[in-house]
Amino acid sequence: MPVSSHLPRPVRPSLIFLTLIGALLLNLLPWQLIGSHFAPDFVALMLLYWTLNQPRRVGVGWAFVFGLAMDVADGNMLGQHTLAYSVIVYLVLSRSRQINIFPFWQQALAMLGLLLLAQVIMAVLRLTTGADMVGISYFVGPFLSAFLWVPISNLLLVHQRKNVPDSL
Amino acid sequence: MQATQPAFFKQGPKPLTRLLIFSTLSVALMVGDVHYQVLGRVREQVSFVLYPLQWLATAPFAALHEARDFFTRQAVLIAEHRKLNDQILVARAKAMRVDALTAENEQLRGLALSQSQRAQSSRLTEILYSGRDPFSAKLIVDLGENGGITPGKIVVDTEGVVGQVVRVQPMTSEVRLITDRNHAVPVMVQRSRLRTVVYGMGAGQPLEVRYLPPNADIKEGDLLVTSGLDGLYAPGLPVATITRIERPSGSPFPRIQSRPVAGIDSHRFLLILDNPPAPPPYPAASGPAAAKGA
Repeated sequence: MPVSSHLPRPVRPSLIFLTLIGALLLNLLPWQLIGSHFAPDFVALMLLYWTLNQPRRVGVGWAFVFGLAMDVADGNMLGQHTLAYSVIVYLVLSRSRQINIFPFWQQALAMLGLLLLAQVIMAVLRLTTGADMVGISYFVGPFLSAFLWVPISNLLLVHQRKNVPDSL
Repeated sequence: MQATQPAFFKQGPKPLTRLLIFSTLSVALMVGDVHYQVLGRVREQVSFVLYPLQWLATAPFAALHEARDFFTRQAVLIAEHRKLNDQILVARAKAMRVDALTAENEQLRGLALSQSQRAQSSRLTEILYSGRDPFSAKLIVDLGENGGITPGKIVVDTEGVVGQVVRVQPMTSEVRLITDRNHAVPVMVQRSRLRTVVYGMGAGQPLEVRYLPPNADIKEGDLLVTSGLDGLYAPGLPVATITRIERPSGSPFPRIQSRPVAGIDSHRFLLILDNPPAPPPYPAASGPAAAKGA
């Protein structure tokens, strides 16, 4: 989170787990009803958020586990989401201290880049195994996810803020 | 010394090490999944854990459907009832003729000492959701191993062939649609009895008949039905109608496009057919190929 005068409350591990499960649930909603594949990837977004804010709790291992869940849920090639999530989470992990002091909108830009990278990795993996190109709309999801970064970050920080008077 | 480090600083392996471990594991999963198909168990276990979530995610939409069905107006229902009654009358008249023909056919087949074709049994299944993977055309349906489904069964709707079950999990199974890229169905032109194969070209695209000679007896509007030659598809199921035939000057083969007969994107319920009776074994051929195969 950006530099602030607040000292955040510690995060309970159960909250991390529940938000990740919630994200998985959102991903499983029948998004195909409204459009081909514009759905934002909530799991990637939450993994990035927690890696950025709790780098000691969430890391490449969690990315792998939730990537595997996404692979099975989507019924695609195993290892596709796991690899993409592991790489982007590692990139955040290695730069988390720098990204952390950016304001939210700049963080959102960084996340946009990472989410696009994840889509590119998955598209390249599928192309090498013989699928055909799906078109540019495959890369619209990350833009929607990046727009969601600011509201989601604020929402999750509400939980962590202590009610301390400003005079302290 | 490393050993005297306080516990607070111990974080296990470095992130880069972890990335290497997990990306190696990912690549191993990919290779195992694509080339060796050894990961069925892993998929099964994970899908078992995921099933409650999948159910939870689709339940509100299913409930919405139910509610809409419930509040359908009575007038609409009465009109539909009347229409269906008329249709039953027409269908019954037809069925009588068909019964007579079936009996006659059986008798003739009996005379010819060939195998009789039995009607196949089938199971009704509901679509849970269409596959999220944009690279392939798939559906997830709500019958799985516990419903007696096995890979290779054929899925149809009221009009024609929809696809084929490719992967079975305990509670759900995946149906590969006939529009999926390079999905092949052995078919026959109903009018001219010409046998060929129709290929999928990707979700939302028309189907394509490839490698027919330019003078083949095929016209726009022809119906393609399964030929049953592969022993998987029962013969006579409608697959597609020919919509367009082009003869490009640079190519020896005409470009033949067709549209699936089944409402591939428009149903909630589908039928999964049981496998047709196994065809007689391939005749033992003579020659070098057979010798090598045996």
